Amino acid sequence: MGMLNLVLANVSRKPATRLYPFEIREPFKGFKGRIVFNPDNCILCGICQKKCPPDAITVTKTDKTWELNVFRCIMCTECVSGCPKDCITISNERAKTGTKEYIKILVPKSDTPKAASK
Amino acid sequence: MTTIIPFGPQHPVLPEPVSLKLEIDNDVVVGVLPSLGYVHRGLEKFIDTKDYNQTLYICERICGICSALHGVTYARAVEKLFDVEVPERAQYLRVIWGELNRIHSHLLWLGLFADGFGFESLFYECWKYRESVLDIMEMTVGNRVIHSMAKVGGTSKDLSKEHIDLILKTLDTLEPKIKDIEKVFVNNYTVKKRLVGLATMSKQLAYEAGTAGPTLRGSGNAIDVRETEDWDIYRDLDFKPVVEKDGDCYARTKVRIGELYESIKLVRNAISKLPNGEIAVPIKGSPTGEAIMRCEMPRGEVVYYVKGKGTKNLERLKIRTPTFANIPSLLLTLPGAKLADVPIIVLTIDPCISCTER
Repeated sequence: MGMLNLVLANVSRKPATRLYPFEIREPFKGFKGRIVFNPDNCILCGICQKKCPPDAITVTKTDKTWELNVFRCIMCTECVSGCPKDCITISNERAKTGTKEYIKILVPKSDTPKAASK
Repeated sequence: MTTIIPFGPQHPVLPEPVSLKLEIDNDVVVGVLPSLGYVHRGLEKFIDTKDYNQTLYICERICGICSALHGVTYARAVEKLFDVEVPERAQYLRVIWGELNRIHSHLLWLGLFADGFGFESLFYECWKYRESVLDIMEMTVGNRVIHSMAKVGGTSKDLSKEHIDLILKTLDTLEPKIKDIEKVFVNNYTVKKRLVGLATMSKQLAYEAGTAGPTLRGSGNAIDVRETEDWDIYRDLDFKPVVEKDGDCYARTKVRIGELYESIKLVRNAISKLPNGEIAVPIKGSPTGEAIMRCEMPRGEVVYYVKGKGTKNLERLKIRTPTFANIPSLLLTLPGAKLADVPIIVLTIDPCISCTER
């Protein structure tokens, strides 16, 4: 009879699922949604590129660009913890549907790097 | 005259591609020939191109369900190469997340198993409760199934006070719900009719066939790596392996339900004894020598062998997964069973073919 009780109790309960497109749950605070790159303090050292397990990050010193292949990224946050200037952070919001495969950011001239902690 | 019927690799009850060629006489199986190799990914060779820190993320992707413990076992194996002592807090955190991982794996299996014998509402119940554990993971670690919380030298995440309250609160609500579904699995007339006495393995046979995990303990062997392996944390946490004597599908189900309670108890004990302090030690240099590490996964015992060559990349990584040890037991238990019972017997070893083939 155990299952019958469960099923009858479920009749009066709210559904366990959400009506997704109309009702969107707030992302949890610690959720790894997407990588956010702030180019202001970047010194193009390339540590994030070396640490990245799936080789998703490409740092080009000659062109002064920082490039992330979003589809390869596995959200391990090795780059976040490895960045000496704290340029890379993680946001708890998911990337929007239809995001482009590559995010390419031009790093401003790093002749006079700003202080890391400000 | 016998007929050969292919079972899998695509089959409604199988989540993963195992193929069995069943030799059938009337309705009874007389011979089995398993064939594997549908999801081989070459991960053990792939580590050549990655350093030992990056290899951890490959190891986590061997299996989606027990990923936390794969990562922990690999990290412990490399720490053994470096001969490093991990901070106590990190060890407790690894146990907490590892046991939560086991709870979600067993709930997933119970659901798939219920679906296997055609009890679909029970399947939905189990997966509904599993979702609360996945929510804990999403809040504390940031990912639902691939947790990436272990790293060589400790853990990369820490539990805050709110997280701990949340875990305890979720476990308090989860435990009575597990009791509800336990009643169905253990007492329900149709479930019992389907499972009792099916694919029985004696204590001796299960031991000699080299089975692991709940398949082994369901036959009365009290062998659990959490107890026998030299990992002191579990001894402090008052751990006892769950053992059933009968050795049939029903006993294996009861072992897994018992392990749910055991894991909940372990998480509570680990949280009550969680010490303060660092969560990781820095590790520098390149590994040399070789090491073996064992760990109790939800499906049984996993063995990691790592060999360093003095560079950042490991020379060799070899993994023996629990399903690899459990497949021979199918060859012993399937002959004599009816064709309609084959899906249930295959499911009771909790096959994870992606683990086995890597």
